[in-house]
Amino acid sequence: MLELRDIDAGYSRLKVLHDVCIKVESGKIVVLIGPNGAGKSTVIKSIFSIADITKGKIFFKNKDITDMKTHELVDIGICMVTQGRANFNSLTIEENLLIGADRIDNKKIIDMKLDKVYHKFPVLKKKSKQRAYILSGGEHQLLALGRSLMQSPSILILDEPSLGLSPKLQKELFKTISELKEEGISILMVEQNAKKAISIADMTYLLEDGRIVLKGGKNILKNKKIKKVYLGGR
Amino acid sequence: MIIAQLIVNSLIIGSIYGLVACGFSLIYSTNRFIHFAHGVSIVIAGYMLLLFHSTLGLPFILSCILSIIITSLIGWGMYNFIFASLQKRNASNVILLIASIGILIFFQNLIQIIFGAGIKSMNLFQAKSIEIFGAIITPLQVVIILVSICLFFALYLFTSHTKIGRDMRAVADDRQLASIMGINTKKIANYSFIIGSALAGIAGILITLEQNLSPFMGTNLMIKGFTGAVIGSISFVPGAILGSFLLGFFENFGIWFLPSVYRDAIAFFLLFLFLLLKPKGIFNWNKGVKK
Repeated sequence: MLELRDIDAGYSRLKVLHDVCIKVESGKIVVLIGPNGAGKSTVIKSIFSIADITKGKIFFKNKDITDMKTHELVDIGICMVTQGRANFNSLTIEENLLIGADRIDNKKIIDMKLDKVYHKFPVLKKKSKQRAYILSGGEHQLLALGRSLMQSPSILILDEPSLGLSPKLQKELFKTISELKEEGISILMVEQNAKKAISIADMTYLLEDGRIVLKGGKNILKNKKIKKVYLGGR
Repeated sequence: MIIAQLIVNSLIIGSIYGLVACGFSLIYSTNRFIHFAHGVSIVIAGYMLLLFHSTLGLPFILSCILSIIITSLIGWGMYNFIFASLQKRNASNVILLIASIGILIFFQNLIQIIFGAGIKSMNLFQAKSIEIFGAIITPLQVVIILVSICLFFALYLFTSHTKIGRDMRAVADDRQLASIMGINTKKIANYSFIIGSALAGIAGILITLEQNLSPFMGTNLMIKGFTGAVIGSISFVPGAILGSFLLGFFENFGIWFLPSVYRDAIAFFLLFLFLLLKPKGIFNWNKGVKK
């Protein structure tokens, strides 16, 4: 569905990624892990034309999307939840959610989706008319996730969604992500919480110094390298 | 009643500064650079009114509409031909500020070449002054206050109740996130320049009717509008308008004690004071907005 082919990318003169190949199959969860500064977020930013791609191509549903502009990607069904407090602070929570439904004309469907998000995250309903800056870190994350649910994406890209969430909310989050997969949404996720992420992933890529050094399914947890770096060997 | 007169004068000058500041702050909030050439858009509107109404003899309302449209188009052109092409080459906001000062100087001199350096006046609507609570005010000044208050209200309704207005607020909040959410930020920048410059056009018409026209008056007006915006909140339109009214009050009550030549000095003093102590302004209600 989404494929990055031999991507070199970076920011003006700074090169971050080298020959990155990632493939997200339809209806699957793909997780990208790696130490800080490995270039995980840059992978996502290069898909969204925020980082500069110097080599390679990106394909979505067999169509070359390398040169598409950031704002055009939503139209073809690629949506993203960015890292940390990624909401419009001076807009109300409801406006924040509705901005996700911009592409839908039918008001009934919009209301239905809104109800669904409110049902999933009741805390957002309680504060729906307030501005987003009042939310706590975890609530911000829920709002960002809620907005991406309004967008009805065919692929959802998540940049460290569990960052700043309490253990209980993290559990809720991973459950929600698995539910999204059930609904047929493909997912590409960058995650710090490697163990949990791998456990729900169909495919995991390990990124180090801007290169993919390892890929595999759930059995990747048994890999020595992963054990050493992530599960307390070092 | 000197107090009543001071309040009336403050309201008149405050609405003029507010008209300058609201367009300026609308453009600033969605684009994050200081568009100083906004001042010359105001003067262009004044001279266009002079050209259409006094020179060509077109009806007044038609002249006004034409002036606003032309000012809007020039603002759109400034963005597309100068700022957007500089942004494409990764120009920083300081470079855009310098470019906008360049545009300001260019158009001021162009006006001087076409219309001459002298002061022009329209002398329209010379009706008798009326007295309210002992304060003297002309009908035109009443119209200025009413028109600007209506415009501020319309602008508020536009930004809070329309989709483009909401997108403008979203872009002002976080440009990158807005484009990830599918908002075409360049389109929104275009809208902000068109609407902001149209507001400058209306300000220009009202100022031309109230004061005299001269090619270089834009700089001073812009400094006052900018000061008002800084006092209120440069990135929040209602804050910028309230700040402009405050500036009007400070100036008029200031020259009650000081000689009136100090009027501009009061504005500069406030500008420095706020830039040093409270650069985000006193009416900045948009807490937590990314800078």
